[in-house]
Amino acid sequence: MEKRTEVELSSRRVDGQTAVLCIGGEVDLYNTPQLKEEILGLIEGGVRRLVVDLSDTQYLDSTALGVLIGGLKRLRERDGELRLAGPPPRIRKLLEITRLLKVFEVCDSVPQALEGWDAQGGTGR
Amino acid sequence: MTTATASSRIELRIPSRPEFISVARLAVAAVAHRMGFDYDDIEDLKVATGEALTNAIQHAQISGRESDDRIVIVCAIEPQALVIEVRDSGSGFDPELRRQALEQGELQEGGLGLLLIESLMDKVDFKTKPGKGTLVRMIKRLPGS
Repeated sequence: MEKRTEVELSSRRVDGQTAVLCIGGEVDLYNTPQLKEEILGLIEGGVRRLVVDLSDTQYLDSTALGVLIGGLKRLRERDGELRLAGPPPRIRKLLEITRLLKVFEVCDSVPQALEGWDAQGGTGR
Repeated sequence: MTTATASSRIELRIPSRPEFISVARLAVAAVAHRMGFDYDDIEDLKVATGEALTNAIQHAQISGRESDDRIVIVCAIEPQALVIEVRDSGSGFDPELRRQALEQGELQEGGLGLLLIESLMDKVDFKTKPGKGTLVRMIKRLPGS
């Protein structure tokens, strides 16, 4: 039970301050620290606009949602933003129950999430 | 609540460690599938079970007993419902305080699990006392019952 195989995290830089983080598979209390580490690493590396791509996410628990909220708070403190892209219906349902659809900007796809930022060169906040 | 017969009870005892949450989730999903729950209901049961276990493990961590504790998950198969009990011997908590905390703040990093459990299950009961552990009993009725 030592290998953390259920989640696959991969990130790519769009520009110096913008990145896309893809969460594939399942995230729960076991591998939430990995997700937190990844997001903090991106922020420490200068990312201020982060799109979290949920299109391949099969399971997300409350601790993972908490990490995303933490990421959003940290980015807003730095005049940045975190957007969610492509959540499957199951994940969208959890966001709705926890009222996080009102907290996060949720877009249908990664290109849509990146759209406003391309034009503004900032978060627009 | 109807008392389940011995043959319709499935009991799983896991170490109070995060890596075993997915094991229990899958076990509950298998029971629910066998009972005839649909995909959405099975996913609801997996989330609620995972959240109850997350609570239990976090309370064990708070009380510093993570490595010693066991969490017991009981699935009681009833004619019209699946009853899931998650029992721990951790620090316990006050569900009403948790609920109030949730209602007060918009950007909560913790406490969402309780909200998910209560929203996804048909009936939920908590029996908990600080220092005495917690029993969460969740009921999901079969469609059409």
